[in-house]
Amino acid sequence: MIERPLFEWDWVTRNLDVIWDKLGEHVWLTFLAVAIGLAIALPLGILAHRRKRLYPPIAGTAGVLYTIPSLALFAMLLPFTGLSTTTAEIGLVGYTQFILIRNIVTGLEGVPGDAKEAALGMGYTPWQLLWKVELPLAMPAIIAGVRIASVSTIGLVTVTTLIGKGGFGHILFQLGFRRFDNTPMIVGAVLSVGLAVAADALIVLAQRFLTPWARGRRTVGV
Amino acid sequence: MSEPGFFADVWSYLTTADNWTGSLGIRTLFVEHVWMSLLAIGIAFAIAFPVALAIGHRRKAEFLVVSISNAGRAIPSLAILAFLVPFSIRLGLGIGFWPTMVALVALAIPPLVTNTYIGIQEVDPDIVEAARGMGMTERRVLWGIEVPLAVPLIVAGLRIAMLTVIATATLAALVGWGGLGRLIVDGFAVQNRPKIFAGALLVASLAIGVDLLLGWAGRRLSPRTSGDLSERQAKANAAAAVG
Amino acid sequence: MRRLFRSHVLGAALVALALVAAACDGSGGDGNGNGSLTIGAVGFAENQILGEMYAQALEAAGYDVERQLNLDSREIVQPAIESGEVDIAPEYLATLAVFLGGDGGTDPAEVHAQLEELLADRGQTVLEFSSAVDTNAFVVTEDTASEHDLSAVSDLEGIAGELTLGGPPECPEREFCIPGLEEVYGVEFADFVPLDVGGPLTVEALAGGEIDVGLLFSTDGAIEANGFVVLEDDRQLQQADNIAPVVSTEALNDEIAGILNGISAALDTPTMTALNAQVTVDQEDPADVAAGFLEDSGLI
Repeated sequence: MIERPLFEWDWVTRNLDVIWDKLGEHVWLTFLAVAIGLAIALPLGILAHRRKRLYPPIAGTAGVLYTIPSLALFAMLLPFTGLSTTTAEIGLVGYTQFILIRNIVTGLEGVPGDAKEAALGMGYTPWQLLWKVELPLAMPAIIAGVRIASVSTIGLVTVTTLIGKGGFGHILFQLGFRRFDNTPMIVGAVLSVGLAVAADALIVLAQRFLTPWARGRRTVGV
Repeated sequence: MSEPGFFADVWSYLTTADNWTGSLGIRTLFVEHVWMSLLAIGIAFAIAFPVALAIGHRRKAEFLVVSISNAGRAIPSLAILAFLVPFSIRLGLGIGFWPTMVALVALAIPPLVTNTYIGIQEVDPDIVEAARGMGMTERRVLWGIEVPLAVPLIVAGLRIAMLTVIATATLAALVGWGGLGRLIVDGFAVQNRPKIFAGALLVASLAIGVDLLLGWAGRRLSPRTSGDLSERQAKANAAAAVG
Repeated sequence: MRRLFRSHVLGAALVALALVAAACDGSGGDGNGNGSLTIGAVGFAENQILGEMYAQALEAAGYDVERQLNLDSREIVQPAIESGEVDIAPEYLATLAVFLGGDGGTDPAEVHAQLEELLADRGQTVLEFSSAVDTNAFVVTEDTASEHDLSAVSDLEGIAGELTLGGPPECPEREFCIPGLEEVYGVEFADFVPLDVGGPLTVEALAGGEIDVGLLFSTDGAIEANGFVVLEDDRQLQQADNIAPVVSTEALNDEIAGILNGISAALDTPTMTALNAQVTVDQEDPADVAAGFLEDSGLI
């Protein structure tokens, strides 16, 4: 077998533009997926919380989506939405639902009854109750969900290299594996993990900023 | 692309006998996928279970467990697969089987360890102390009380691990293995979209089916109420051990 | 109260941003801006080197160029040219002609004319062909060759039933691969293992004995580097696969044609093989290899 060097810094310096480009793609795909995912999961979660009967079908559907292996999900979307960002995003957003909805519902359920009663006693409408009491108190759980969903999504973006996207997965797979070239493989993998760690840390910071009153861990782990 | 026409093509792909035969036929790929998954879970469990029991029982090394679990979630499975192939070749183990097996086992271990560990750890310490107080040996405490009470979480861990394995096995087709992912990858190479869809459908069905099965099994194996039934069970075990 | 407000505003802003982003994102990035050319190539060394050559030469002439050099197969490139997502792609005369339903042939001029016709209906133009030819090569290790006394593809006739072929996943559908082997040589392998498009996976599988016969490309430097034996195509299954750029007629103009034709003229089979080897054996980057060639040939 032809001997290949384990790592060449040279490759990195020569390909900084590609790395930068792919960083942008990876971050954008992730941000879009989590943001849209949240925009969809919030109303669904609130609905499931308000009407208990809707929880099983909502959680169930999200669960089924979550169960489907990512490559299969993207592959099923392919004939309909082609090799596009849309295909990637539909899949990625789909995967965030299970975690987000579950955490949102758990968060809302965890709101102490007396807080709600006090608010209603003060004449809050259900809408005000939600906006001013329930959601803020559910924030830690929701943010925890966003945290897990973000890290998951960052990992899943690498799979989208098959449909022409991929972010760092492109570097790992197309530039690395397809040529058996070690350096891009390492770069792609390390940067993916690095991004996940960074996103995680960022969200923890955001959590402190947004919910400074929340002490102790209210993380709902998998 | 006309939708009804497309699905008719998918149906036609799945019902053409030719597509089921041969080394790249649906039957072979399906069996391959299932066998590999079971084998990997088996091996992973054999490794993860004793480790998690040891750590959980002594309630130490939680940091290690959390780290492994996080690492497992953060490293993309495609990366692990991709790295293992050249490595495997260098060791003379070839493409296909070995890199896939190692990747599957490696990815299955974190959820198994985590859930088993938490399962053991969450057993009410009072029950454990009571059992010890009644003179049960450590081994009896572990196997008679902690493990049975941890079963629901262990099964949940198995469920997560199994899904991870099935999903990663699908990806393994990208790095030279077989399995149902083959239908997707080869279909993609020639843009045979009905084939791609059919393959994806089969993978999804397998995953969902396994998940439902394990979910059902988990419910069956759980105590009816986590409260008094398990406590009674625990006391019964304790009594049996001593008397 | 201020803290609650803070989180509400932030949350709402994020959600709004997401919705806006989703609405705007839709088609962005997939289409082609005015005046920019997209070069598409299949993800194997030679095609990528050619793609880079076209790209760099056009850039030197002032064109704005986008690269898509990791596409999976002709089945992706062709529709992409038709839909306008790709403008230029390096192709091979006979294989493309047959792919489009033509007869192919062994005379490049003939096949070229054939291809011109086939592409005219598709809004594509094939430019002048190079003398550089790259065909499928059925390759075995030296050991296999001596063990079964193989020097030509026809030697496989009796024993193919015990051997495994490895190659690109498209092999079962390519005239010059599996169907052709059956038709022209009466060769049916025991098994086919889909690997990659003339890439390291196939090379390693062959070297490691996981497959007995591998499909590589005739200009692949890895063949020599690994001491593989190319089985002679004695019954002429392979045809005139001269390299030629295929361009979307809409995007084409005389200047572009001139530039690309210049590249084709400067290439020949030994040169292409040497350039390929720089990538697959010396692990150099296709972009660098292309740049080197363009400079050495005075094309840049």
